[in-house]
Amino acid sequence: MTRPGEMTIGKAALSRRGFLAAGGALVVSFSVPAWAAPGGRAAALDPARSTSWIEIHADNTVLIRTGKSDLGQSTIYTAYPQVVADELGIAFEAITTVVSGDTDVTPDGGGTFALMSMGLSNLRKAAAYTREAVFELASQKFGVPRNQISVADGVISGGGMSATYGELVAGQDLRLTIPVKGNQTDFGGVEVLGDPPLKPIGAYRVVGKPYKNPSIRPKIAGETVWVGDVKLPGMLHARAVHPATLGSTLVAVGKVDRSQFPKAQVVVIGNFVAVVSESEWEAVQAAVQIADDTQWSEWKGLPPSGQLLDHLRQEVKWDEVSGTPGKENKGDVAIAVAKTHSGTYFTPFLKHAPIGPTVSLADVRPDGSVTLHTHSQNPGFLRYSIARMLSRPEEAVVIRTYPGPSHFGRSNGGNAGSEDGAVLLSQELGRPVRLQWMRDDDMKWSTQSSPMYTDVSIGLDDHGRMASYRADHKGPPMQDDRLISAILAGLPVIDPPSPTNPVPISNNKMIMSDPWAYDTVPNVAVTGHGAFQIGQRESPINLGLRDHSMRTPIQFQQNFPREVAVTEAAALAGADPLQFRLDHVSDDRFKGVLTRLREESGWVTRAASSSQKADGDGLLRGQGVSMIVREQGYWACAAHIAVRPDTGEVRVERLTIIVEPGVVVNPLQLKRQVQAGGLMGTSIALHEEVTFDESGITSEDWSSYPILTMSEIPEVKVVIVSRPELGVFGTGSETANALAAPAIAGAFLDATGKPARRIPLRPDYVKAILASDDGLGTRVQ
Amino acid sequence: MIRIMVNGEMRTVQSPPDTPLLYVLRNELNVMSPKFGCGLAQCGACSVLLDGEEIRSCVTPVDSVADREVTTVEGLAARWAKQRNLSFDQTARTLHPVQEAWIEEQVPQCGICQFGMMIKVTELLDQNPKPTDAEIKAALTDSGPSPHLCRCASYAAILDGVHRAAQLMSEGARHD
Repeated sequence: MTRPGEMTIGKAALSRRGFLAAGGALVVSFSVPAWAAPGGRAAALDPARSTSWIEIHADNTVLIRTGKSDLGQSTIYTAYPQVVADELGIAFEAITTVVSGDTDVTPDGGGTFALMSMGLSNLRKAAAYTREAVFELASQKFGVPRNQISVADGVISGGGMSATYGELVAGQDLRLTIPVKGNQTDFGGVEVLGDPPLKPIGAYRVVGKPYKNPSIRPKIAGETVWVGDVKLPGMLHARAVHPATLGSTLVAVGKVDRSQFPKAQVVVIGNFVAVVSESEWEAVQAAVQIADDTQWSEWKGLPPSGQLLDHLRQEVKWDEVSGTPGKENKGDVAIAVAKTHSGTYFTPFLKHAPIGPTVSLADVRPDGSVTLHTHSQNPGFLRYSIARMLSRPEEAVVIRTYPGPSHFGRSNGGNAGSEDGAVLLSQELGRPVRLQWMRDDDMKWSTQSSPMYTDVSIGLDDHGRMASYRADHKGPPMQDDRLISAILAGLPVIDPPSPTNPVPISNNKMIMSDPWAYDTVPNVAVTGHGAFQIGQRESPINLGLRDHSMRTPIQFQQNFPREVAVTEAAALAGADPLQFRLDHVSDDRFKGVLTRLREESGWVTRAASSSQKADGDGLLRGQGVSMIVREQGYWACAAHIAVRPDTGEVRVERLTIIVEPGVVVNPLQLKRQVQAGGLMGTSIALHEEVTFDESGITSEDWSSYPILTMSEIPEVKVVIVSRPELGVFGTGSETANALAAPAIAGAFLDATGKPARRIPLRPDYVKAILASDDGLGTRVQ
Repeated sequence: MIRIMVNGEMRTVQSPPDTPLLYVLRNELNVMSPKFGCGLAQCGACSVLLDGEEIRSCVTPVDSVADREVTTVEGLAARWAKQRNLSFDQTARTLHPVQEAWIEEQVPQCGICQFGMMIKVTELLDQNPKPTDAEIKAALTDSGPSPHLCRCASYAAILDGVHRAAQLMSEGARHD
């Protein structure tokens, strides 16, 4: 209901509280900041106030706030301001401040994912609500009807009069209440509701231009404070002493040699052991000494990584968790067909492997308040998790976020690994504590992207068209957001993934994440099969191999088998794999990216080669194609590779990526995202696999978990296709990661005549694959 | 007492002599651009120039660099100004051409590795003002204790950045 003095825009209500003598005000009272709670303790912004999202200042500068973080995508510093600028009708440069991540000064929470869907929609709507409210002010001030008010270049006009935003809002105390749902500490955060009048995309002027990311200059100049750079008076440096295995309990903690390390102190809370010192180097050395002298119980509860596929196929009980059918399933895949392609495909455990190991600084005060300085993709949910661990109200916890080494999804449930340990140590010692994991801690004690294996069967009809497609995807869950040090300390954490976990993202049912693309195939049966995390229930401390989403999670693992299998089906049909794809899609956006790929990549239209002939340099060369749709972004990729059959070396020579996201908000930033994502995907395709033995992870550094180096990079060509008329903001960023592996595997088939149904294509696997007939290197013909 | 020249300034170090240079720079001298990545000389995030040559500060005991000259990203602009005899006023307004190029080409994704990348590229361009793609790749992969790693895989942007930096350096000093 609208009360007197209020106006309604969509579902927003504007309340005018009269003139403030102070002048220079925002669209809201500035004398009492929106986030100030009684007692002066920072709590959170009220997301129902428009000014919690967007502040317009009397000097015409604008501030925006988002609970999202930046992990290098630049979205919150480029795309968000660009869209807000267009909705308000102001210049990009007028948005001088982006407040992000910190839970006490941002309204929405929600993880750093779906940046171009709900995250963008929230700010776009908040901007539209704000613009309409200022238009109402202008209407009153100019004395002309609301429908005669317009804005251009930050100047609002009507009836021959005009004023800037700043002039209109100066001195006004307006409380614009906008409709929202959800809480900052919910996993997905707050959503802005209602239908404020959005500008048509065709009227956007700032969107589409290649603005630079304003956060890059201070980083490059050395001015940015990164997560590891934060210092507080009296701060102690800490190092963790992790258990000997993923199922060990503490038997006897070691002693620190006081004559050698006089300032070092050992802290033990249950199975959580750490060493602190005022000197970081002393903490590092003392932690090594303690680790050598500490006894843990033995545990052997994992299948070694070399037997992982066999374990998944033969040992895991896939009937403990109900299957998930694909939304597009139809027809009957048991129909008679002329030819059948079938195969098993496998993607291994992967590490997020940020370049810097996780580090956090916690300051727990005697009054019970907690300030946690960290780098998190979901500060709101981290706030919830820390409060839960300490059995304290959420109001007691503030999360401050800083730039850091990207986690690629590892912290999208709040934590990357070090946060809770820092809090426990600060609480125990009564001083700020900075907990820095070492390289091996980060490799062995963080979560990983879970593996998947897929049985695919494709039936071809008499004309060589796909008549049926069946895929059964099987893998452990992908989202364990429990705090690791809290688990070790025996403190409250959320439940691990299970079939009865009521939180959808923490349920271990496998979602179907890769939308079916070949919609002309009449018979489709795709099913996801979930399981428990490997070794978790066997571990006395409920750990085992904890899993977490990583760039295009689950979709990559489902898309890889689909795309490689379709390439193999094309070969069985004697068809060109790119044309074969075109022949099985009706969506014109897929047709568009595939057709463009053929033009841009130097693609040679022909069936995959069945007889292999080395080039003059002794290398076998091939071309491969992949495609994907994710969050309204359409993508196609071609890989041109060379294989040295005697050594098993695979070299990617060229990568061509076509992206059509509908509206291209910032072509410069999108190009850089896509180049990097394509190369990270190449790294995954060629190198990456987490190794482990019966007790724990054995990938512990960059030599046991190698990633792509500069000397291996292919020529990368990125083609951005803009289709603003579609009116959709497709996602960029992570999707590029998923494209390389299936395109490279397709090129492997073309180059060698042998399918490659697993990654990574490391020399030892490649030699085994070339000597076998199953694409996995496990069965010899 | 150990003394080291850091970014043109002679500094006295209290830390024990076996302390890795990285911890001395960050914790004692408040020089924060070298980052902790691995502590194993495997990634390059902690790289600094020692008398003009790239080293990994995470495995370099501070006493081994006593009385020598350490340059970090914070000191690149002043080093460039000195090399080119720029005035004080010019120096204050100038980033190193490698930094300028990194901004113009929008090289970083998350950016944590770029401090080491820029150090290595500065060393390269000192020796080879117009490197080819192959020479750039070799410098960042094979010429030091380990490859310089970028997990975001911003390598294509780094190639663009190095070529732009070479162009800027050949044009002389630039100003903001």
